[in-house]
Amino acid sequence: MTTTATHPSPARPAALRPVTAVMRLMWLYLLSRRVPAAAGLLAGLGCLLWVALHEHWSIAGGAAARLVIPLIVESGAAAIVAVSSHGPFGEPERATGRWLPWLRLGAALTLAAVAFAVLSAGATGGYLPGGGPALLRNLGGMIGIGLLSATVLGGSFGWTGPMAYLLITEGALAGGWATPWIWPGRPPGDLGGALCACAVFAAGLATLTLLGARNPDRHTPG
Amino acid sequence: MTTATAPARPASARRGHLPRPPSFLRLVRIELRRSPMPLILPLIAALFWFDSYRPSTSQAPLYPLVTFWNMGQGHTIIDVGPFAAGMAAWIGARDGRRGTADLVTATPRPRWVAQLATWGATALWAVLAYLVFAGVMFAWYAHRGVQGEPPWWWVAVGATAVLAFTAAGFTAGVLFPNRFVAPLAAFGGFLLMMMSSQTGFRDRSGWALLLPTNSNGNFQVDSGILYPYLPDLPIARMMFLAGIAVAVLGLAGLPAAAGGRRVRMAAAAVIVVGLTATGTAVGLARTARLSSHGMVIPALHDAASGKLIAYTPVCAGSGFRVCLNPAYRRYLTDTVGALAPVAHEVAGLPGAPVRAVQAPAIYDDNDGQGGQPMTISGDPPVLSVPYGAFSFLPGPAGFSTAPVSRTVYDQNTRLLFAQAFVGAGDTLGTPAQQAVRAALLQAAGVPFAQQPGLVSGALQPSAPSPGPGRATGPVYAAAARFAALPPATRHAWLVTNLAALRAGQVTLDRLP
Amino acid sequence: MNVELTGLVRRFGRTQAVAGVSLRVGPGVFGLLGPNGAGKTSLLRMMATVLPPSSGRMELLGRDPREHPQRREIRRRLGYLPQNLGYYPGFTVTEFVEYFALLKDMPPGQVPRAVAAAVERVGLAGKRKSRLKTLSGGMLRRVGIAQAIVNDPELLLLDEPTAGLDPEQRVAFRTMLRDIGERATVVVSTHLVEDIGAACTEVALMNQGGIVFHGTPAQLTARGEGSGAAGDAPLERGYSAVLAEARA
Repeated sequence: MTTTATHPSPARPAALRPVTAVMRLMWLYLLSRRVPAAAGLLAGLGCLLWVALHEHWSIAGGAAARLVIPLIVESGAAAIVAVSSHGPFGEPERATGRWLPWLRLGAALTLAAVAFAVLSAGATGGYLPGGGPALLRNLGGMIGIGLLSATVLGGSFGWTGPMAYLLITEGALAGGWATPWIWPGRPPGDLGGALCACAVFAAGLATLTLLGARNPDRHTPG
Repeated sequence: MTTATAPARPASARRGHLPRPPSFLRLVRIELRRSPMPLILPLIAALFWFDSYRPSTSQAPLYPLVTFWNMGQGHTIIDVGPFAAGMAAWIGARDGRRGTADLVTATPRPRWVAQLATWGATALWAVLAYLVFAGVMFAWYAHRGVQGEPPWWWVAVGATAVLAFTAAGFTAGVLFPNRFVAPLAAFGGFLLMMMSSQTGFRDRSGWALLLPTNSNGNFQVDSGILYPYLPDLPIARMMFLAGIAVAVLGLAGLPAAAGGRRVRMAAAAVIVVGLTATGTAVGLARTARLSSHGMVIPALHDAASGKLIAYTPVCAGSGFRVCLNPAYRRYLTDTVGALAPVAHEVAGLPGAPVRAVQAPAIYDDNDGQGGQPMTISGDPPVLSVPYGAFSFLPGPAGFSTAPVSRTVYDQNTRLLFAQAFVGAGDTLGTPAQQAVRAALLQAAGVPFAQQPGLVSGALQPSAPSPGPGRATGPVYAAAARFAALPPATRHAWLVTNLAALRAGQVTLDRLP
Repeated sequence: MNVELTGLVRRFGRTQAVAGVSLRVGPGVFGLLGPNGAGKTSLLRMMATVLPPSSGRMELLGRDPREHPQRREIRRRLGYLPQNLGYYPGFTVTEFVEYFALLKDMPPGQVPRAVAAAVERVGLAGKRKSRLKTLSGGMLRRVGIAQAIVNDPELLLLDEPTAGLDPEQRVAFRTMLRDIGERATVVVSTHLVEDIGAACTEVALMNQGGIVFHGTPAQLTARGEGSGAAGDAPLERGYSAVLAEARA
């Protein structure tokens, strides 16, 4: 920087109103988490679900097996939500003020809502086992697992939790398990399964809000 | 920092264009030491135990049965492959994530070659983990006394599939280095496996046989026990999967940043090689046909691989001797008890078998379900029992999810013996054959009332069962009359009429 | 001459980052000065053969980098430290330097000794087994320098090499540069004029993609005498004076 600059000073930008500032902050936060790209991918999954239901993609093996393809799509959506929690800024962001937990919460809820909306749209006109209630329960629970994974392992690895849960569910469905912790295997109106899924969703949301996704590249100078 | 003098300049640069193995291997060694792939292995190990090993514990201790779910239907691949693809994608995106693209590009070794070293280490970890998990599982099977030969060819197929998953995931990461590529690679791989399973249930021939979770023609119960696992289909699958792996790795060498023109041409050639291998495998699969011992691909078939495995049978029974393959030793006593009553009823009659031996089950499109007939042949006549075709072995067995009781085993075994004796084979038989069979079974301890359901389940699995207590109609009426005769009378009539009965020339009204 | 640039241009969309630069540089330490956005990094990236020019001609170490075989030969003899050094956090210091030594096609038998020497030369011998994610920013920078010099390059390109180094380390670094510059061409892009004055035999000043000054540090200093330009040191005043003239 010099004091002999000959360029004229740029015009001072207009001050932001508080509400606008908050919305601007939220938008920038969503951009930093690649939420628009995530929303696009979720829309793609919605299309995939539509194709799967209308083309009757299904694993042979009875009612439980028919759940598997939609479950893959739902857990894939949960994985995208989880991976979006990864933040590129690291410590400088964590050293800021009070907004960060609210931003995390807002971003996670936004993406969860987008995921539910696009998958619901994808299920339109097709037979989705359990319908909307089952979709909400399954998706919410798996998003919770994904957010918990992101908190423990890092945002980049948030997909491993939903992937592991999907494999466990696939095996449990084949074995006819009835535990409410494998909520996709429960009837859509089942209270136990819904409670378990809600609890996991709430736990994932709470931990992500308070702790944020772990940064595995956290610099630890020796 | 110091001002120490630099080491002597290296000898003038060599002019070769190919990577020299020692340097390349050293790159791989560094990558192996620092690969993040091991971080995911404990999770994969737990899932492997849950999804691949645990369901196999309810099966009878025969390798084709305990491994049908995890090897035959590819669940070991499902447990490892998607995770390997996801991690490989994350590793492939490393240069994009870390901002090291320029650093790597500014070196003489083409970036593609450096990436191949990274992939090589990733694949080594993934494949090694798969082999270790499978190896531990088989070691535990051996400890449990599972009988027969392990399906090693299918372990090799699984390892090749894991290799293909890492290649596809890694290339996706190289080409699309963003945060979403890992989950998309993982879940995309899982979806492909499920679609592969579905295709396998629907398509039992052609290219669909190459899909890694297609269980058709893989192996049946007698594979590795009475005859070897045929390597034809596994070889074709490995060719298919390896071709895919090679082709996608070549894709990573196509972008301009991967290297100079020659490197990109080499990458294109690699893609062609991979696609050729895959296409060849598809062509071979189209020529596959189901033989009595498994899937045969003529161009790959070695006649020696179809020979029966020699063994010393285990035998029991004082009057009617039963001999089985040692792998079935645990069923020997039950089998003697099941066959003896019918053997006693037919003893001395023309064509009555003097003993029973195990025969190899014949492959069929129903994966061995639906029963295969016992047969009587030879001089003196011997009852051949295709044990491997039976889904009703006592105890947890076959494709049934519930234990099979001794009663069910006895009844089914006696039915098939009686079927063979009257010449009905695996059909219902003529009314006269049915009546004689029913009478024999009644005498052997299978009441008439239980026979309709038994016959329907064994010989007409798709027909609705008439249920117990419906042993009515002219067949059972004739059977009741026949069974009520004194044994000597019945015996005499059978001596005279057995040949005609077996030939289907006896009508119901000729029964006494 | 190890570096011959003739009318080199690089555009990014409608922005001309490098606007017709011509330079001839032989052995020695060559400094590249300029304000932010002057085009120094783009010029350095082109010389590192990671960014192709939009137009113009470039000859490095007597070879044309447009030809693939010659580009490989250049890269074998090249050391490059970018402004934003990427690294693999799980690697140790030795592994990182060894990795790049191998990528640079160094004879495998010479790699261990060269790696040890490079790590020793940047003063990180005691941290050679430490993982990169445990190092401070300055240490990471020194690791970057180590990978750049491990193959004893004939052309060494350093973009902001002393960022994060403490004064003592900067002094040692300049001594190392002078030592290397006796046999090779070193091009240093920096904002720190004292680095230029202490280590460089020649300096070029870039502004808005072009070279506005090319000479010795003494000549740059002389441009600032009596000009009234801002600066706490003679070289800074020369820098300011030349820029002011260029902008006028």
